[in-house]
Amino acid sequence: MNLEIIGITVLWSFLFGYIVIGAIDFGAGFFNAYSLLTGKERILTKVIQRYLSPVWEVTNVFLVFFFVGIIGFFPKTAFYYGTTLLVPVSIGVILFAIRGSYYAFETYGSRGHKGYSFMYGLAGLLLPASLSIVLTISEGGFIEMVDGHPVLDYWVLFTSPLTWSIVVLSISATLYISAVFLTWYANKAGDVSATDLLRKYGLIWSLPTIITAGGIIFELRRHNFEHYSNIQTFWLLFLISFLMFIGTVWLLWKRRNYGWAFGLLAGQFAFAFFGYGASHYPYLLYPHLTLYDSFTNPAMAISLIIVFILGLCLLIPSLVLLLRLFLFNKDYVRGKDNFHV
Amino acid sequence: MTDFIIFYAPFIILIAAIVVAFLVAPMDGSVNKDE
Amino acid sequence: MGNEEAVFYSRVLTELTLSFHIIYATIGVGVPLMIMIAQWVGIRKNDEHYILLARRWARGFVITVAVGVVTGTAIGLQLSLLWPNFMELAGNVIALPLFMETFAFFFEAIFLGIYLYTWDRFENQKKHLLLLVPVAIGASFSAVFITMVNAFMNAPQGFDIVNGELVNINPIIAMFNPAMPTKVAHVVITAYMTAAFVLAAIAAFRLLKGSNHIYHKKALYLTMKLGFVFSIATALIGDFSGKYLAEYQPEKLAAAEWHFETQENAPLVLLGVLSDGEVKYALEIPFGLSMLAHNNPKAEVIGLDQFPADEIPPLYIHYLFNIMVFIGMWMAILSALYWFGINRGWKRVSSRWFRWLIVLGGPLSIIAIEAGWWLAEVGRQPWILRHIMRVEDAATTSGQVDLMLMLFALLYLILGIGSIVVLSRMFRKNPVEQELEDRHMEKGGDLH
Repeated sequence: MNLEIIGITVLWSFLFGYIVIGAIDFGAGFFNAYSLLTGKERILTKVIQRYLSPVWEVTNVFLVFFFVGIIGFFPKTAFYYGTTLLVPVSIGVILFAIRGSYYAFETYGSRGHKGYSFMYGLAGLLLPASLSIVLTISEGGFIEMVDGHPVLDYWVLFTSPLTWSIVVLSISATLYISAVFLTWYANKAGDVSATDLLRKYGLIWSLPTIITAGGIIFELRRHNFEHYSNIQTFWLLFLISFLMFIGTVWLLWKRRNYGWAFGLLAGQFAFAFFGYGASHYPYLLYPHLTLYDSFTNPAMAISLIIVFILGLCLLIPSLVLLLRLFLFNKDYVRGKDNFHV
Repeated sequence: MTDFIIFYAPFIILIAAIVVAFLVAPMDGSVNKDE
Repeated sequence: MGNEEAVFYSRVLTELTLSFHIIYATIGVGVPLMIMIAQWVGIRKNDEHYILLARRWARGFVITVAVGVVTGTAIGLQLSLLWPNFMELAGNVIALPLFMETFAFFFEAIFLGIYLYTWDRFENQKKHLLLLVPVAIGASFSAVFITMVNAFMNAPQGFDIVNGELVNINPIIAMFNPAMPTKVAHVVITAYMTAAFVLAAIAAFRLLKGSNHIYHKKALYLTMKLGFVFSIATALIGDFSGKYLAEYQPEKLAAAEWHFETQENAPLVLLGVLSDGEVKYALEIPFGLSMLAHNNPKAEVIGLDQFPADEIPPLYIHYLFNIMVFIGMWMAILSALYWFGINRGWKRVSSRWFRWLIVLGGPLSIIAIEAGWWLAEVGRQPWILRHIMRVEDAATTSGQVDLMLMLFALLYLILGIGSIVVLSRMFRKNPVEQELEDRHMEKGGDLH
């Protein structure tokens, strides 16, 4: 295993972490806003806010970690992606800013403010869509080199079915992940009506998730045949992923073992995400940029890895403490005590 | 001397200021007495 | 090629983002220490006012932290979006502190979440205070690491360029560059100072608006004392920065001080205006600049005559320097008077006009922070990486920067107004008298 692989594995894992906990976060914000709109807020809001409140800032850090890390390990990505992604990522940042600050405004400033709740619910839903464009672009075919500078062709991008399938996948996966997690959480909190409602949402969103996910592999055949044939070699990972998906849906359907259901869902996304990542190897951006020609110097790579290990020694105990106090603490989850500042 | 001022003294002052801040913070006799 | 527009708008957008972010970042670095001191005093003296002070500050702090986090993310991404060529080089050499910063931020975020949701959860108050320590450390170290990157832009080292290739890269040497100690210490200490004076302004404002509760008096006295301590330290570290500049970035010092010709016994030029290349209406302190630069009234100070015209920063940074220094000195005097006056029982420092001056000190401190950062950034021009990369060579070639500028300007407007509205509503709805009473009612049930 060389430094390049270690670097990208670390980053890819953090991106996976962000996708899962970010999806829970964004989906929860959306369900919260939706429940306000449909007058079901009494059922959902409490359980959603209990989960979200102490962890929202931690979620954001995963994203920051990823983009800082990728500049550190693969500085050339700054040149290719930095130049071309100005518009999509700026829009993502704006949504991210609205989502984060309005969430805080609502939670700490004026509880139950409808305007703020809608703002962050909607921003959170659009955010995965805008960030998913980056994955689309990495498939190649949207960037041309003009005078030695990469230029993004918006027309090709926005008329490609691949783009839109990835957008739909990102939104439905967000809602699916979030609904399944919150079903488990609500069940732990002993909140029957919230569990039922969220379980329903989970089942609804499972379908578009799996259809678009399959559709994307099919569309890649036309768009990027090299990547498509690479995916074939990892068929086992995708098969496991699919079986796990079936398992989640089955458990939800049977109303049992919601914890396992979420575990299987995490597994489903992990296998698909790492299968996708592995089949993308060695390209960071088809066909311009590979892991190897964008990698930083060995001195920087080694010091980044050392800092990463030291950092984890600090973070993992802290994260465990956070989870034990809030996520796995029965009294907190059930809303028995409230020690908010 | 110049090297000391440029490389070490700033941190010494910074830490000293934090320590002094903790030392002076509890002294509130002057505002507490007119209660 | 017509890339001048992209360069121009990239500069404006970066300046806008940084200027907005720095307000929240400064508060975000400084306030945790203030909360910690207040809570510590409260526990030590068993004084519920200080504990409540810490609690109410923490409540407001969450709002500023949220805006600070999202705008910090914005600037983090904008660095790559607007200055891709710079980030490609920087990624190779100075990525280490950037990476460390995310860990500091991570650490802070985790414990802030815990701290906020564990008020009164522990029997022993000290345990709760302990949870704030990583928040304050994480916040301050975020500033330390990110300022290391900025210091590197001023005094790049830790690599060589041979035939356009980066070689002999040493990330540690790059981190510990000569600009680092003075810059880091200056940024951190001014964050503490600004946080203290902003909180003092709030306390003074409450006292002016009718509340005469001792809670506010304690808050005001505490923050003014802290502000004084930190402003003295700021002045000292600022003086060290002058010595750093004289040694490593003489053009920046010379431009900020309008020091045109290399000379011994150099005077320090304060205020004044520049017309047709001549300094008018200025206040000259004899030997002042020689003292600032070398601690020696006779020392020679390098002037702007030693540099090619296209490597001299814009001369308007002198005004920024003045704003920063005069506000800093003014706040030191004001807080010293207040501290001394209260101890001596002077009625004047508790008068309305004096309190208005303290209120004014809040925004003034923020202006000083802004002026200081503009001075630091404009004073490095024309370089983004001193003597290695010019700003115009670092910018993006994308054509949509102007549109993004408008979008972000709108965003910051919304966030700025939003955070002010939320904060003022939060505290107006729940005044301290009310909260103290509520807490007594609650406690009454337990104690008797």
